[in-house]
Amino acid sequence: MATEAQGAAVGRLARFPVRRAVQWVLGIGILVGAAYAAYRTLSLGLFSAAAWRDLVVFGVAQGAIYALIALGYTMVYGILRMINFAHGEVFMWGAFVSYFVARTLQNSGFMQSSPYVAIVILLVAAIAGSIGVAVLLERVAYRPLRNAPRLVPLITAIGASLFLQNTARGFFGPQTRGYPVPDVLGGTWTILGVPILRTQAIVIVVALVVMIALTLFVSRTKTGKSIRAVAEDKDIASLMGIDVDRVVVTTFVIGGMLAGVAAVLFVMVFQVVGPFMGFVLGIKAFTAAVLGGIGSIAGAALGGLILGLLESVAPSLFLTGLHIPGPNQLKDVIAFAILVLVLIFRPGGLLGTGEAEKV
Amino acid sequence: MVVYLALVGMVETFNGINLVGGAITLGRLLLVLPPFLIGYILVRPRVKAGITVTPSPFAAVLGGAAAGLAAGVLTGICILIANALPEQLSARNVFVAVTPSLLSIMTFGRPIGIGVALLVAISAVAGGLGGGLGVAAWRVRRPVVLGLTVALLMAMLQDVFRVALAQLGLATEWLYSPTFGGLTYLGAVVAFAVPAAASAYWLSEGRTVRERLQTIPKEGQKPVRVMMIAAMAILLIALPYLLGSFLSAVLGRVGLFILMGLGLNIVVGYAGLLDLGYVAFFAVGAYTTGLLTAAANSGSSIHIGMGFFEALPIVIVVAAFTGLLIGAPVLRLRGDYLAIVTLGFGEIARVLLTSDWLSPALGGAQGLIAIPAPSFLGIDLRDPQPFYYLALGFCVVAAFVSYRLANSRVGRAWVAMREDEQIAEAMGISTVRYKLLAFATGAAVGGMSGALFAVQIGSLAPTSFNILVSIQALAIIILGGMGSIPGVIVGGLFLVGIPGFLTEFEQFQLLIYGAVLIAIMLYRPEGLIPNVRRTRELHEEEILQDAWGEGVPDARPSTISFEETPR
Repeated sequence: MATEAQGAAVGRLARFPVRRAVQWVLGIGILVGAAYAAYRTLSLGLFSAAAWRDLVVFGVAQGAIYALIALGYTMVYGILRMINFAHGEVFMWGAFVSYFVARTLQNSGFMQSSPYVAIVILLVAAIAGSIGVAVLLERVAYRPLRNAPRLVPLITAIGASLFLQNTARGFFGPQTRGYPVPDVLGGTWTILGVPILRTQAIVIVVALVVMIALTLFVSRTKTGKSIRAVAEDKDIASLMGIDVDRVVVTTFVIGGMLAGVAAVLFVMVFQVVGPFMGFVLGIKAFTAAVLGGIGSIAGAALGGLILGLLESVAPSLFLTGLHIPGPNQLKDVIAFAILVLVLIFRPGGLLGTGEAEKV
Repeated sequence: MVVYLALVGMVETFNGINLVGGAITLGRLLLVLPPFLIGYILVRPRVKAGITVTPSPFAAVLGGAAAGLAAGVLTGICILIANALPEQLSARNVFVAVTPSLLSIMTFGRPIGIGVALLVAISAVAGGLGGGLGVAAWRVRRPVVLGLTVALLMAMLQDVFRVALAQLGLATEWLYSPTFGGLTYLGAVVAFAVPAAASAYWLSEGRTVRERLQTIPKEGQKPVRVMMIAAMAILLIALPYLLGSFLSAVLGRVGLFILMGLGLNIVVGYAGLLDLGYVAFFAVGAYTTGLLTAAANSGSSIHIGMGFFEALPIVIVVAAFTGLLIGAPVLRLRGDYLAIVTLGFGEIARVLLTSDWLSPALGGAQGLIAIPAPSFLGIDLRDPQPFYYLALGFCVVAAFVSYRLANSRVGRAWVAMREDEQIAEAMGISTVRYKLLAFATGAAVGGMSGALFAVQIGSLAPTSFNILVSIQALAIIILGGMGSIPGVIVGGLFLVGIPGFLTEFEQFQLLIYGAVLIAIMLYRPEGLIPNVRRTRELHEEEILQDAWGEGVPDARPSTISFEETPR
């Protein structure tokens, strides 16, 4: 009997959920640490309320862009269970295509005379560019490898990303260029007493509209239904008569469209294009997708928002308090650290189940 | 596809002109190569409805020529358009490469009408040749391909070979023209003919030679093996003297990357864990070495002033520890996620190294300077030639360690983990332990290469520790063959050696890496010198469907085959 009790005790010890305990401890530790750092910063009083407000607005706008790109990642992942590393380049190419159109419009004075039409034209150009690259990617690089072990398409995606970046560099030159933006977009609006740059406001609104449209599309239309079906089980879906290839291409097209829109929004806010702009943005957008829960549209939106906000606010909020010099350099570290932490402890993302992915 | 290649042609011809012969420059070769390849690929045997279809020779040549013609026409149209556009609409506004000089290269320097017609004609001929070659019996095909490749390599690497031969005291004027700097026509023919003949001979008689070798009892085989290894060793050791200072420096860099490749090979090739943040270990090794050995004015506040070889064990331990640190959190992650997380770690490392926060210790954006050159028995090891030996020594050690690991219980555990983790766990293999071991070992090797990097130049700039380094290492092992040590060496030679020797390639290094990665994954995921087991894993589908009638290609370390097994 003594042995049984001992055995039971040992069993309980062995079953102690080490992982979850660590999760809790770490989570609480981070929260406490963050709160403390924030308290320190705020008591330093270095930033005015207006400064915080600007940071927040900027973060939301940034987050909107992340969300749009993240949606592209999330949709492809849902369908192919594969991370399209080259999605950042899809975004970049859309931006470049619209850049050349924009330059022509600028030079011919069209941009000044009818800025709204010009913006629409730019949107169309960017979307066309992005869709083109996305479809090309799917056709050439991903389709032949549908059934290969997972390592293979991943490496192909990396190769495609490199290739697209450097083709752009070869075609267009490595320099970053200023993007001509219609003057109509300058200036600020005051909404609810908060001055927001016009560009930022447009970004947020457009992103919201697009995301709502996408959700409706996926849930209400027939194509949306087939996308959901393929995402759930590719083989059974094809047995049910769904043309899987078609659906995959459609998904890439949608992803491309979103990236194109994101491209135009990005250049409106930041006003630069360069061959390598897609890379880091792509990784951050992927972080957003994972943060919110990959495979979920609402997740991408949420993840984008949170990431944007954190990136914008966190360096100032947490790091100044701890007297860490040059906090904005560490902006990227925060983003990657979030990525790492989320993937380790909650791979399903915020809106996911909290379980690790089954292999 | 044709149009795409034409556009790529536009991208690539600004490659400039590398002289190969008086008339055949690399740029021109690139104009001709796509049609040739199209013709070749078009006529390869294909499986249609279960039957292998091979076109007849006549149809093949004609088809190839037609394809070449089409490609040439497309390119010609593009040239004509580009030429005809007025200044404002010029294609130059979009594509920076479309200069008048480009156009004149593409038209072979002739006036535009004739030039375009010439281009179209040459494309057609190239396509026809490609088609012809594609259907030739493999006994003919292999020697031809091998001969062309060797000739091309000798031409591109003219500096290397010319210097080497000169050092050996051999006259080179008949081979390399001193005026143009490329192969002479005679030299080109010889460079083609000798390997081709050798290959043809080997293909016909080689089998008997091999069989005879195998029937010799084991004790008899040993001297042959020993001789081959000794020959290779002598070549390796003699190399720096053959090549002189500058080229030895390049070889030193190649050695560095091969060392990294060997380390990454352990993580990716053996254990199957795709690590995109390998540069973190490299950086740890480099910075640790720097911090431990640097003199007082290094830019950091840490001064310890050890010697290089004293510091080395510490560096290795620190790097291995970093490997554990990075490996521990990611144990549960699957392929894609693992890649991204390691990527994140790599980027975090880079940002931290550059940051102001850590700059008192790590030198911030300026990095560390004044890292002393190691010396051994009075020889300054920073000189290119001794450095090469240092790198070579490290590589040999790393290769030896990998080899022994791969053929041990550990290696077998890795194989099991790669195939199916859950079943491996069920069989009693502690995935935790072996994954951590893989990370730690890989990190240690990476740290060693970082140490080499630190002393090679004597200063460290944090910008050099970016993700591109990880990707380069990855590309090396993918090209050479995951899990295959000779593969890593070959991959390193190609991907680091050729851009190193030929500076014109450096601009396009990443572009070529990207294209190579894609191409390899699509057509030969097991790499150039495959590891037999990996090949089986990667081609499971084909094997299950019996699409590979003769079975998997053998992994024979001493032959480089540019084609698949003959069908």
